[in-house]
Amino acid sequence: MEIDGNTLIFIIIVLFLFFSSPGGDGVSSQYEFNQLQELRTQWNVEYKSFQGMNYNENFQNITGLKLAYQDIIDDESVNATYPLPSKDYSHWSQDQKYAILPDEVISQVKNNVWTQENADKPDLFPPNITGTLRGHIELVSNDKYSKLPMPIQRFYDPPSEFSDVSPHLGDRYLGDEWPPFSELHNVTFDNGELSVQVSHVDRVYDRLKGNQQTYFNSQTDRWKFLNLRLDFSDKTEHEKHSLLTDAVYDVQHGRILAMTQSAKFHSLFAFPHYMNLENAIESEDTFNSLKKLINEYWNASNFVDTLTMNDLQDWYDSAVYKCEYVAFIQLEPWNEYTPDQLKMIDDELNWPLGRPANLSSVPLINLQSGLLYSPDCGIQLKFNNIKGKRYEIQMRSIRAHLLFGIGLFVTQIYLLLCQMHHTNTPSSVSKLSFYSLSMINLVDGSLATLYFIAASILPELYLPLVISSFACFILASIFETRYLILVYASQFNERNVGLLTLLRRSNNDNNDGTNTEAANTVIPDEASISGTLYGRFFFMLISFTLLTLSSTSWPRKIRMIFEYVTIFVLNSYWLPQIFRNAIKGTLPRRSRLRSEALGIQRQNKMPLLWKFIIGTTIIRTLPVVYVFTYSSNVFRHHKDVRFVVVLCLYLLFQIAVLYSQDILGSRWFLPKLAIPEGYSYHKPMSAQELMEHGSSVDHTVDCAICMSEVPVYVEDVPETHKVDLQTYMTTPCGHVFHTQCLENWMSYKLQCPVCRSPLPPL
Amino acid sequence: MSLKRITKELNDLGRDPPTSCSAGPVGDDIYHWQASIMGPPDSPYAGGVFFLSIHFPTDYPFKPPKIAFTTKIYHPNINANGNICLDILKDQWSPALTISKVLLSICSLLTDANPDDPLVPEIAHIYKTDRAKYEATAREWTKKYAV
Repeated sequence: MEIDGNTLIFIIIVLFLFFSSPGGDGVSSQYEFNQLQELRTQWNVEYKSFQGMNYNENFQNITGLKLAYQDIIDDESVNATYPLPSKDYSHWSQDQKYAILPDEVISQVKNNVWTQENADKPDLFPPNITGTLRGHIELVSNDKYSKLPMPIQRFYDPPSEFSDVSPHLGDRYLGDEWPPFSELHNVTFDNGELSVQVSHVDRVYDRLKGNQQTYFNSQTDRWKFLNLRLDFSDKTEHEKHSLLTDAVYDVQHGRILAMTQSAKFHSLFAFPHYMNLENAIESEDTFNSLKKLINEYWNASNFVDTLTMNDLQDWYDSAVYKCEYVAFIQLEPWNEYTPDQLKMIDDELNWPLGRPANLSSVPLINLQSGLLYSPDCGIQLKFNNIKGKRYEIQMRSIRAHLLFGIGLFVTQIYLLLCQMHHTNTPSSVSKLSFYSLSMINLVDGSLATLYFIAASILPELYLPLVISSFACFILASIFETRYLILVYASQFNERNVGLLTLLRRSNNDNNDGTNTEAANTVIPDEASISGTLYGRFFFMLISFTLLTLSSTSWPRKIRMIFEYVTIFVLNSYWLPQIFRNAIKGTLPRRSRLRSEALGIQRQNKMPLLWKFIIGTTIIRTLPVVYVFTYSSNVFRHHKDVRFVVVLCLYLLFQIAVLYSQDILGSRWFLPKLAIPEGYSYHKPMSAQELMEHGSSVDHTVDCAICMSEVPVYVEDVPETHKVDLQTYMTTPCGHVFHTQCLENWMSYKLQCPVCRSPLPPL
Repeated sequence: MSLKRITKELNDLGRDPPTSCSAGPVGDDIYHWQASIMGPPDSPYAGGVFFLSIHFPTDYPFKPPKIAFTTKIYHPNINANGNICLDILKDQWSPALTISKVLLSICSLLTDANPDDPLVPEIAHIYKTDRAKYEATAREWTKKYAV
């Protein structure tokens, strides 16, 4: 290959971009390097002061904790410069004089959240509470409390000029601009929904030592280090708040203390003091052991050295865009178990070996009560009974549901195969509604893609999701699309024929232009039909899937309307079939049975098997019913029984109409006027016609299709009157065929085989 | 249905054979026939005997039979594989047509080629611009392959 100058420059640029991209700590300029140095110095200083701190001592120069609530009450203009004159740094107690929380909040935590348990029998709490928990949250107050100023260090700010090398020092307050920070991030709803995602952090990865992992917690029976993600929003989802917090879980008392961390609040150092909101004897012990945990975490994670620009930017962002929050949470005890049983359940969930743990009866993890307080925005929220399944149990139940779903798909494939076997001739296939099948196909196809997308998001459920996706895809793209191709091909001759003409079975009133057009339609081969149909299928599929996916991010009200309308429309899948039946016009069941008894094999059986209709309806309704009626369903969908009842009635109505068409004939609901008698193919012949077309010796005509004789009914000849008019058909051009022969041909083309003149549709 | 009709056609062919063609099944398979056509006397194919293979689809007579020349022939509507470009074998098929009618149509196609809807555009071009050359080549091919 010849390398010219341009290629060389291009390669050099690519290599330059490759090698100059930010490495481990994400620093890409001198300015950022200095920023990171400042950050490290700050944390180091604060850690040193934390290490020297003991149970009786106040916070000193730690970001976000320099002021106490009382300080602002005393002097609103106080700023957080350390040391504050006349502030007592050598004492600590759990009140607003020293803490960042107002006394009222502290007493609420003591009385309503972290209540003293009975001393005789200690409560038992699950050692692992990983999971996603959901419930309601309530606003207590957003204007009662004074807002604690929390400054952000100036070195966090991005450079104001390109030439800047060293960041600014000092700090600034976020309330200075308009609109004020705390107003911008206020919680304005009274009632909302809360979801808490709990994950355990029992080991840390050290980036500098090649991602070496270290278990840091030496007191796992006493403390757990958690990450909590709290999302709360109002019911309409117009206002959303999302907090990422570090948390400490006291396994012995079921208490969780969670605090956000950002550039203006270094909450990591506050855990030991704030876990101690009561003056109990073991308080000092609690303080020391928790301090040990923080120390262990700090050392194992190599906290300062592994800081990156990413951390800096994240903390800066959350400081600028979010209020700081402190959450006090009390877990509901699992007193029905002994400590050994609890351990067994936990082990079995972590490493399933088949221990006799009876996982199906494991209770929900319940955050019995909790309080959220934002010191810098003065917001207080409370919540009760935030419940959810333990993560592994949740996964197990989702897996079971997916397996059930796969069973449904397989049943659907079986039913479809029966149905395909039932309609094995072109004329019976042509009685099926293309649109009914398309709707069914669209749902299955988009389910397959949704499953596939979910499989790439949820690695734990990869296998069952991929199997579901595969089963669904087979059903949709192989069986259903194949069937659709057959239906499409068999109805191709109707392309240019109007609906009314089809209904009347006559095209006498049409002008000749359309007739010749209909007569000249080329019946394409299956390859080109399958090409167009697959193209259409994938187009519909992708647009529908994208619409569904994007709908998940819409506001709740619009999303609900979309969901309800979509479910309703997609569940109208028998309606097109009802219209199709009416167009094709089958006889009532009684007269069909009679003509069968006479030995006339006319292909006017109902196109759909009852097994297929009922089975398909049940398979398609079950998931909707489940999702809308069980409030604890795995999709966390809200409950709406009324909608399900309406939907079921709607489906029953469709099936009832189909059934009535089977019994009474498919056109019973159309007024006689709407279906004027069109051309009748079954009519007696006159002797003169017989002379023209056939032999008058045995009163038969040759059928040009099967080349055998057709006995005909001739009005003037009494001995021919035993011939059933239904056995042969006379075209408007006067040619006679066996009923079966011509009906078969008419499913290919509406054209007389002999003279090529157009035929009225059947 | 298709079997009955094919048998019937075979019987009719035996009873009343067309003048310039013949057809009949190859071996036991009634769905696979062989046919022969005598080159029409007023055409450059005169004197040649052309063989064709006929395959009936299972839904015959609703779908057209597949007919192809097995003898090489120089014709604007017949390609090197022997495929024939004839409307009644494609979208203008009618179940009232029979093998003998189709063979007669092919005979008349040999007499009057249709260069406006060609399968081999080169031959069609020569047919339209240099009729003598076309006839010479066709005669030469007939002598070479069909005698």
